[in-house]
Amino acid sequence: MRRDKRGEDEVVVDRVACTAHGVCSVVSNGAIELDEFGYPVPSRLTMGRRDARELVAQCPARALLIARDR
Amino acid sequence: MNETLWYVSRATGTLSIVLMTVVMILGLVLSGARQRAGTRTTVIQGVHRSLALGMLTFLVLHIATAVAETYVHIDLISAFVPFTSPYRRFLVGLGTLGADILAAVIATSVLRQRISQRVWRIVHRATFAMWPLTIWHGIAMGTSNEPLLRGTTIACAVAGGVVLIWRIAGSHRDSARRREVLRQEWT
Amino acid sequence: MSLVALLDDAGLTGRGGARFPTSIKLKSALETGADLIVNACDGEIGVHKDALVVAEHLDALQHGADLLARRVQWAAHRGSATERRLRNAGLRVLPVPSRYVASEESALVSLLHGGRARPIMRQAPISTGGKDAQGRRLRPTLVLNAETVWRVSQIERHGAAWFRGYGTAEEPGPRLVTMGGNVDRPGVYDSEAGVPMRDLLEAAGAVDVRGVGISGMSGGWLRGRDAWAATWSDAGLAPYGIPTGTGAVHVLGRSACPVDHLAQIATFAAGESAGQCGPCMFGVPAVASQLERLADGVLPAEEMLDLHHRLGMLPGRGACRFPDGVSRFVASGLRTFSAEVDAHLAGECVLMQERAGATR
Ligand code: SF4
Ligand code: SF4
Repeated sequence: MRRDKRGEDEVVVDRVACTAHGVCSVVSNGAIELDEFGYPVPSRLTMGRRDARELVAQCPARALLIARDR
Repeated sequence: MNETLWYVSRATGTLSIVLMTVVMILGLVLSGARQRAGTRTTVIQGVHRSLALGMLTFLVLHIATAVAETYVHIDLISAFVPFTSPYRRFLVGLGTLGADILAAVIATSVLRQRISQRVWRIVHRATFAMWPLTIWHGIAMGTSNEPLLRGTTIACAVAGGVVLIWRIAGSHRDSARRREVLRQEWT
Repeated sequence: MSLVALLDDAGLTGRGGARFPTSIKLKSALETGADLIVNACDGEIGVHKDALVVAEHLDALQHGADLLARRVQWAAHRGSATERRLRNAGLRVLPVPSRYVASEESALVSLLHGGRARPIMRQAPISTGGKDAQGRRLRPTLVLNAETVWRVSQIERHGAAWFRGYGTAEEPGPRLVTMGGNVDRPGVYDSEAGVPMRDLLEAAGAVDVRGVGISGMSGGWLRGRDAWAATWSDAGLAPYGIPTGTGAVHVLGRSACPVDHLAQIATFAAGESAGQCGPCMFGVPAVASQLERLADGVLPAEEMLDLHHRLGMLPGRGACRFPDGVSRFVASGLRTFSAEVDAHLAGECVLMQERAGATR
């Protein structure tokens, strides 16, 4: 498993933990959108490693995870 | 010099309480908002997090000056271990206990990505105990002959109390629905 | 020959609906020393085969379970006849609340470990163990459907070649099918992939067939004439976008309004969401309420777009496949019964008008 700084990570939404705070949509600049009830679309998204870290840290419910097995 | 320290200690103590209350109110607004708007939440969360760290500066200053000044006797041990102070053991102890809980809350938050969400949540909920202890400590101790400081502390108590009640009174439909389904038979 | 190799030769796949190769599951279970849960809940609506396997083949079933694991738990709905039979046989029963998602694989594992019978969000298969949302440690646990376990014991006794004597090369082996709805002889039938669906329908005594629902809430629909002509297998049903899944066949007669039927099932589904995942706990009820209004003939035609949009938002957005199933089930129904749907939008459904007249 390569883990250099410039690689990419896949962020996944933990659906049970997500409580529709919508922060992910703001922090990802709209790469994550919210559905009519306020829950994120899509469920997984690949992005630069640093952005992924930042996004994961900003979710108030800690509902964003870096996908395993990559 | 000694007198200065004494005043700095009281001022930073009161400031800590103000900031602590603001941070707590922001946290309550975050978790209790009836409607969620991403931008607002993002901003509130940012302020909640950085202000919490900022408050630490004043709290450290408050404790350090309280120990340093020799006007009354508070030693280093009682700054960390509650209810060991030779001077006003109980009231100083409340403050120490509050600071200890606060340290745990902040430490678990900084390490949030590495520890279990459950541990974080339990520790974070200890805020509900920490805040009243601290207010009690503030009102009963340092501000007895300073109407401005005492008034500020009381204002904090009132503001925090009001928001606490608002938080308990309702929640977002996500939490409401979760609770509703949880009451059904699942075991 | 090892059991894993034997099952691999036989080509046995899970009979609970997901059709995952049993040999692969067993291989990883043996590596981790997993416990076994035999799922005899018949969790899908319209399925009664697990009850039949327990009632008529309990010895073989127990033999199969013993082949697979040392520690076995038997999951059955609380208060069911199946639960009683298992208890009377002295087996360790895991009583499961009678809820749709409660018999989902990870929900059973959660229940076994003292948690609630609700699905768990996972990044790796639940069979390898892990942790639940409360931080409880979950041991590696193999969950197999009762029919699957019974087939294991049959394969061990009669061999892979015997097993492959049934079904098709891609979907080998005998399979149980539960026939229900508007038929004279509802019940569980021995069948196999590749038989004409006409045989199944005739065996159960279906005559008047407006449509056929396959695999309950996790499947979809066939128009009557397609059902008479189709082949019973995943390959045969693929053109209609539905799997054989759990092997339930529900016949809807001409006197039943399919839109009303869809609305009823969707409303049931809305009450069955485990209330853990936002898109499911709000999306499914929203779909159900639109379907209710469609069934009552009061849904404006413009709202059909919303309905389809909402259906499209459900798949892949829950901790379990429940919203995926509901979405496919409803979308397939709307597609299959588009003529009836149009009649409802125009307020011209005859059955609907009769219903309204009767209540007036
Ligand atoms: S920020 Fe977190 S809790 Fe909020 S919508 Fe995004 S994933 Fe869900
Ligand atoms: S998708 Fe629905 S049924 Fe499945 S776990 Fe989430 S809320 Fe429960």
